[in-house]
Amino acid sequence: MSLEVAGVRKAFGSVRALSGVDLSVPQASFFALLGPSGCGKTTLLRVIAGIYASDAGKVALGGRDITQVPMHRRNMAMVFQSYALFPHLCAFDNVAFGLRSRRLPKDEIRSRVAEALALVRLEHLLQRYPCEMSGGQQQRVALARALAVRPDLLLLDEPLSNLDQRLRDEMRVEIRDLQRRLAITTVLVTHDISEAFTMSDRIGVMQEGRIVQIGSAEEIYHRPANRFVANFVGPINELPLTQVEGDAGGARALLAGQFSVRLPALTRAGPPGSDLTLILRPQALRLGVEEGETANRYGAEVEDVVFLGASSECRLRIGPLRLLAALPAGSGAKLAAGDKVMVGWDAADGVVTDGR
Amino acid sequence: MAVDAANISSAGASASRLRLRPHWPFIAPLILVMAAGFAWPLLHVLVNSFHPNTPQGLDAEHWTLTNYRRLADPLYGEILLRTLRISAAVTAISAVAAYPVALFIARLSPRAQSWMILAYVSPWLVNTVVKALGWTLLLRSNGVINTALRAIGLIEQPLRLLLTETGVVLALVPGHFMFVLLPLWTAISALDPALSWAAGTLGATPAGVFRRIVLPLTLPALIVGLVINFIMNMTAFAIPMLLGGVRNQVASMLAYQVDLVSLDWPFGGALAVALLGFTLALVFVGQKLAVIGLSSRGGKPEVSPS
Repeated sequence: MSLEVAGVRKAFGSVRALSGVDLSVPQASFFALLGPSGCGKTTLLRVIAGIYASDAGKVALGGRDITQVPMHRRNMAMVFQSYALFPHLCAFDNVAFGLRSRRLPKDEIRSRVAEALALVRLEHLLQRYPCEMSGGQQQRVALARALAVRPDLLLLDEPLSNLDQRLRDEMRVEIRDLQRRLAITTVLVTHDISEAFTMSDRIGVMQEGRIVQIGSAEEIYHRPANRFVANFVGPINELPLTQVEGDAGGARALLAGQFSVRLPALTRAGPPGSDLTLILRPQALRLGVEEGETANRYGAEVEDVVFLGASSECRLRIGPLRLLAALPAGSGAKLAAGDKVMVGWDAADGVVTDGR
Repeated sequence: MAVDAANISSAGASASRLRLRPHWPFIAPLILVMAAGFAWPLLHVLVNSFHPNTPQGLDAEHWTLTNYRRLADPLYGEILLRTLRISAAVTAISAVAAYPVALFIARLSPRAQSWMILAYVSPWLVNTVVKALGWTLLLRSNGVINTALRAIGLIEQPLRLLLTETGVVLALVPGHFMFVLLPLWTAISALDPALSWAAGTLGATPAGVFRRIVLPLTLPALIVGLVINFIMNMTAFAIPMLLGGVRNQVASMLAYQVDLVSLDWPFGGALAVALLGFTLALVFVGQKLAVIGLSSRGGKPEVSPS
């Protein structure tokens, strides 16, 4: 079912955890709440689940206002970071827990537990207790327990952070496939960028109790709403701009007070003339560009080249400005520290933001 | 290098021959004290209980079971039954109150929790005789309880509380409640709150979360507390003596009478052995219950899957 969150606020004592969150997740889609620890993403998930009551705002599921509905009547299911498997119950009884709460007949419980455990390929571990299972197996049982109740909304709270890297990559794909196959509306909380990028349809980036940007992985990576988002989802170059002038058709400014630079059309940044920042991804920089090939082109000196396997990282200097460029594999071999090179980028590859 | 390795290995071999472990020096004093001050006298009590008592004192030449037969005397049987009845009543009241109080305290702020725990431990910090005196002020016919009950019109004649079993039970409950509360509160505080949330999001009502998650996971702690509480009740002396009086004698008062007034050590020994045996049996049963509750493998799945 679709999920709508409107104007949700929550404070713990004097600490404001959520200060007005709006969010909409369409039926059967996968939404990720991404942010650093302490940004309020887990609090938001718990408000959606009904574990915490919000101070203000509304939560609706499938168009029905459930703000006042207690958690045990919301027909959601949650997978916790610690898995929260019941230590005194075996895998079968853990998965059957939600079905017994719903007072289903015994035969149906048995078949649905078997079905859920088969989904996570653990049908052979029915009688195992949590303490007898590996972390990966516990994680699957927790997932099966959540799926068995056929929830209207599946909530995942950092479900993969306690697994080792290989298992994590495996589970990402597996959870994503299950979610698509079963068409369950899902909200994932994570601080792991690649987890959010690989699993979700849309991502909401949270900062200090607010969602500062909602969009696809590409939008968030290439068109970050502010410096915080840009920084959080990957390395960036931040270049100070002065004397900004322009309109919706295109803009120009002074870079570091001396170089003229062409900018994308100004839409959401502050008024022209104020001090702004140009954000450039390392991938946007191109080296060895010819005259007229890119809108911006400057002479630079190579400070350092680091080979990273799939790509190389190149540190450059344009006058007083230091920049980081990412080069596709192979192209970095020709460069060495001290080389002079022409560096350029297209106006549309930059993002202009104010100080935030 | 080779010499060093040889030295190390020979040192290790001699240490294991002597069976010297680094922790022995720390444990030995305790073992000596326990052996000399506890095990040895207890052995004497056991041996004495099989000797007859004579006007001249203990007769170590002869062996008898008379002392144990005397325990079956209705007079002593009544005292043992009363001791059990009082102890069981106190433990039962503590058991009923334990979860509400422990759950309430566990939900408070850490600061409030320490104050509440201090409040529940404080009766134990007061001298028993002083405590008993305080209780007489509460329990006597013109005491606080009777005056209050009459003032609100619940009773017309004062209830007889002083020098009754009820009075003893009333006074023992707060004194020994902390032995139940502390382990249970610790166990409840240690529960991962995500367990209750997981159960709640899976559709369990608050009562269901308690019955299916909190109770099975903390029951061992309750049972441990109840066993300690029961033993404390069985061995209580000052409170039953001062509030129950001679007409409501309990085992500890009888032991005092027999051992220190009549100086009948053989019978005192039999009494002590009987009480010890009973208490050990109870501890054993309690431990079994706790282990069954604790070990998930001991319990059967709610429905065994086919």
